[in-house]
Amino acid sequence: MSGHDSKYFSTTKKGEIPELKEELNSQYKDRRKDAVKKVIAAMTVGKDVSSLFTDVVNCMQTENLELKKLVYLYLINYAKSQPDLAILAVNTFVKDSQDPNPLIRALAVRTMGCIRVDKITEYLCDPLQRCLKDDDPYVRKTAAICVAKLYDINAELVEDRGFLETLKDMISDSNPMVVANAVAALAEIQENSTRLIFEITSNTLSKLLTALNECNEWGQVFILDALSRYRAADAREAENIVERVTPRLQHANCAVVLSAVKMILQQMELITSTDVVRNLCKKMAPPLVTLLSSEPEIQYVALRNINLIVQKRPTILAHEIKVFFCKYNDPIYVKMEKLEIMIKLASDRNIDQVLLEFKEYATEVDVDFVRKAVRAIGRCAIKLERAAERCISVLLELIKLKVNYVVQEAIIVIKDIFRRYPNTYESIIATLCESLDNLDEPEAKASMIWIIGEYAERIDNADELLESFLESFPEEPALVQLQLLTATVKLFLKKPTEGPQQMIQVVLNNATVETDNPDLRDRAYIYWRLLSTDPEAAKDIVLAEKPVISDDSNQLDASLLDELLANIATLSSVFHKPPEAFVTRAKPSAPRPDDDDFPDGGEPTAYSESLSQGSDRASAAPPPSSSGAPQPPAPAAVPDLLGDLIGLDNALVPVDQPAAAPRPSLPILLPSSNGQGLQISAQLTRRDGQVFYSLLFENSSLAALDGFMIQFNKNTFGLAAAGPLQVPSLQPGSSATTLLPMVLFQNVLPGPPSSLLQVAVKNNQQPVWYFNDKIPLQALLMEDGKMERQSFLETWKSLPDANEVAKELPSAVLQSVDGTVERLAAANVFFVAKRKNGNKDVLYLSAKVPPSVIFLVELTAAAGVPGVKCAVKTPNPEMSLLFFEAMEALLK
Amino acid sequence: MGIVFGRILGSIFGNREARILVLGLDNAGKTTILYRLQMGEVVSTIPTIGFNVETVQYNNIKFQVWDLGGQTSIRPYWRCYFPNTQAIIYVVDSSDTERLVIAKEEFHAILEEEELKRAVVLIYANKQDLPGALDDAAVTEALELHKIKSRQWAIFKTSAIKGEGIFEGLDWLSNTLKAGGG
Repeated sequence: MSGHDSKYFSTTKKGEIPELKEELNSQYKDRRKDAVKKVIAAMTVGKDVSSLFTDVVNCMQTENLELKKLVYLYLINYAKSQPDLAILAVNTFVKDSQDPNPLIRALAVRTMGCIRVDKITEYLCDPLQRCLKDDDPYVRKTAAICVAKLYDINAELVEDRGFLETLKDMISDSNPMVVANAVAALAEIQENSTRLIFEITSNTLSKLLTALNECNEWGQVFILDALSRYRAADAREAENIVERVTPRLQHANCAVVLSAVKMILQQMELITSTDVVRNLCKKMAPPLVTLLSSEPEIQYVALRNINLIVQKRPTILAHEIKVFFCKYNDPIYVKMEKLEIMIKLASDRNIDQVLLEFKEYATEVDVDFVRKAVRAIGRCAIKLERAAERCISVLLELIKLKVNYVVQEAIIVIKDIFRRYPNTYESIIATLCESLDNLDEPEAKASMIWIIGEYAERIDNADELLESFLESFPEEPALVQLQLLTATVKLFLKKPTEGPQQMIQVVLNNATVETDNPDLRDRAYIYWRLLSTDPEAAKDIVLAEKPVISDDSNQLDASLLDELLANIATLSSVFHKPPEAFVTRAKPSAPRPDDDDFPDGGEPTAYSESLSQGSDRASAAPPPSSSGAPQPPAPAAVPDLLGDLIGLDNALVPVDQPAAAPRPSLPILLPSSNGQGLQISAQLTRRDGQVFYSLLFENSSLAALDGFMIQFNKNTFGLAAAGPLQVPSLQPGSSATTLLPMVLFQNVLPGPPSSLLQVAVKNNQQPVWYFNDKIPLQALLMEDGKMERQSFLETWKSLPDANEVAKELPSAVLQSVDGTVERLAAANVFFVAKRKNGNKDVLYLSAKVPPSVIFLVELTAAAGVPGVKCAVKTPNPEMSLLFFEAMEALLK
Repeated sequence: MGIVFGRILGSIFGNREARILVLGLDNAGKTTILYRLQMGEVVSTIPTIGFNVETVQYNNIKFQVWDLGGQTSIRPYWRCYFPNTQAIIYVVDSSDTERLVIAKEEFHAILEEEELKRAVVLIYANKQDLPGALDDAAVTEALELHKIKSRQWAIFKTSAIKGEGIFEGLDWLSNTLKAGGG
């Protein structure tokens, strides 16, 4: 609206609605238009003008574009509150979508997409279909986005009407903007779908790369985002793609630059040539540096992203540290981020320069910034061993400035430096002690007390110093109390003289009797008991050598980092949180309440992982764990019944199922309660004629576990691992599955056959775990166990009757003869013949157990009735018990 | 003279547009009639989900003609358009004898409306081109038009496809409105 239209906001008369109604129904076009403007004005200031719905909608059929737009605006706002009446607008939409003016066609289709009323969506499909094929690219590109909006309202409808196929065809459109919007729509739809909908193929890839050069900046962002989820077939293809995309790095729009960086980083994972990688790193530096010369807000976004990039590929900006030096007029949030990156980029080569900067910052006025600068010096000292001394001398200079919060901050970081480099810099303790009286922050106090306790033997008056703190023990915060307690115990163990002895009594008394803090009390009791039972043991424990620390503050976990890098140029990479942590999206399957808020339509930021997961799954390589075993191509048809079998019994694994997917159906053999947080589930399975041990490791302990090894005790079938156990380092809370190929007859246990399998698993952090498993015979049955009728009969006759054993399998059931035959054949129990005996079916089958023990089987059962009689004849009747168990499991 | 006469007419009728509703069951031919009136030609139509509105100039009168969708789901919203209506054109598919009863019920329901009690009613017995179409007398009977009291009405045999009868009906309508029937 133009400037003078502000007058429409200023009506305050009574009976405004009836008055507006009258004007809306005026026979004069001008009055109607004015009235609609008044309505819109009222709407924007929050008045409820929904009661004028039909009157406004009646103004919709006009050749005046301005009026039409206003009515559309009104519709978008109120259609949901008047879902029944919204149907009155349908005909006008249909007409407008055929208007000779492409602007009106596009306007109609755009508005339609914004009206989230179920009753009318169906009527909008025909116009949408027409607009998707419109001659005018502006209409087509608008319609493409409308499909994504419609998918959000009614996914089924979109699929039934074939809009997804149309969208995919639009990737080949002659107009680059249409291509970009089709890509954006498909990406958005993919995000809301669990199914794989949008996959870039080598064919679409070239289309996208061509469109990338021609479409506008926002279209480029859409295409780059989609491309960054494409997994190139090999390094060569990745190089080609990157080469086509690198010119985008020079784009003036920072969103394009960041998306291009994201895309290149993703493809770089595949590139093996170090030259190419080095070259790319070189090319990415200048655009990233350029981002830092824009407005502070953009700088901040760039810095947050750079923070991630530097963690992954420090070389890119290794020579650009000067860009991250803080300017005096940078806003504080920019300064803080710059500091973080400076620490990450600090190296032996540039540390002198960096320290000069930090020292400068430590004298600025902003307290938070100063503190962070002091901490930064400490972190550099911990990170760079050779620069530690220089860092400490800077810290000492700062302490001499006697600025209270600087001193306190310095003491906190010096404590960490002592921890990192024990017995190296204790000479400065004296200087630190000078500032003792000025400490008033708990963290600084606690740090100082720790230093005194740790180096009590070198500080002559350590007992006096501690004593001065003890006076105020009951008033101190818990952090300080805990440190005081420990430091006093250390002092006592190091100098078991009278003074410290008195002190320790005071402290223990204070910490056990006069405190409400359970942590403090428990720690005090532990010390008390240690000291009273075995002071030597106490010494070993309290004064034990401490593990080396490293600077891992603000370091992200590798998998999180990768996820965030895949989301560069989105809110996710600014928050440093995965999208699902802060975006909740209604999945289309979930019922959508009518009063749901209208979501931000075109927001490309919260691009979830579903797409990349989808494509990962589609292109899933054989799982690394089974790479040791030869993997012949999957047989074409695995009968569906196999699926049923899996549900009942894990003996068989369909070959086309990726082994990496954790199968919760594995029986738990080592519960986490027995394994100090490590839980192991496992079962023997058979795939492609080979036996595997399928294992699931779940780490719920607090430490990472690595170095897993496995061993099997002697067993009847001599089962042993064919190769080393391949389990990656397990972070706390993570899990891993693996398929361990097995060999037979390696370490055979003589004696009667037994299904017992004893397993030992060890790792670098925990004791060896032993657990028992059962060998399911069905995992061992051989593929060549099929017999012809004739040889079956002959073998049956040739075996003495004493070799025939029979057993009732009460829980087994024969559902149907054909189904059972198929199921058993899949488990390597092969059908030979069948006959009827009264109402019962009698099946004859054959099977072979390694090394080559033949089993002739007779099953008698009435179909559908539980209870199967199983008779077997075999040269090795001792094994028939195991065989019955297997049959019972297979027939359950 | 002509100028003076025009002014007199204007004073009687103003620049007012006569507001006319075209109602009837679905598939009666309302939209076809509207565009026949407006453009003088037959357009291909789809069921009207909502409304069409066009201005038609005829016999020195401007008609603002509202064609409302006739589907069951839309009929309840006809009443939104009743205020300030001078005339109703009720279109009947004369060949759809099975639904004449429904057409009659809808028609009489409209006549009951308070807001329409001053409106003139013109009935089009449409689709006369189709075999088996009832003539105007039979439609009059079926709609029980004789029950209409204290209101001006007329029925015309029309064929929107062929363009027959429509303008005759409009002639009657404009004359009736000019005579102050509205």
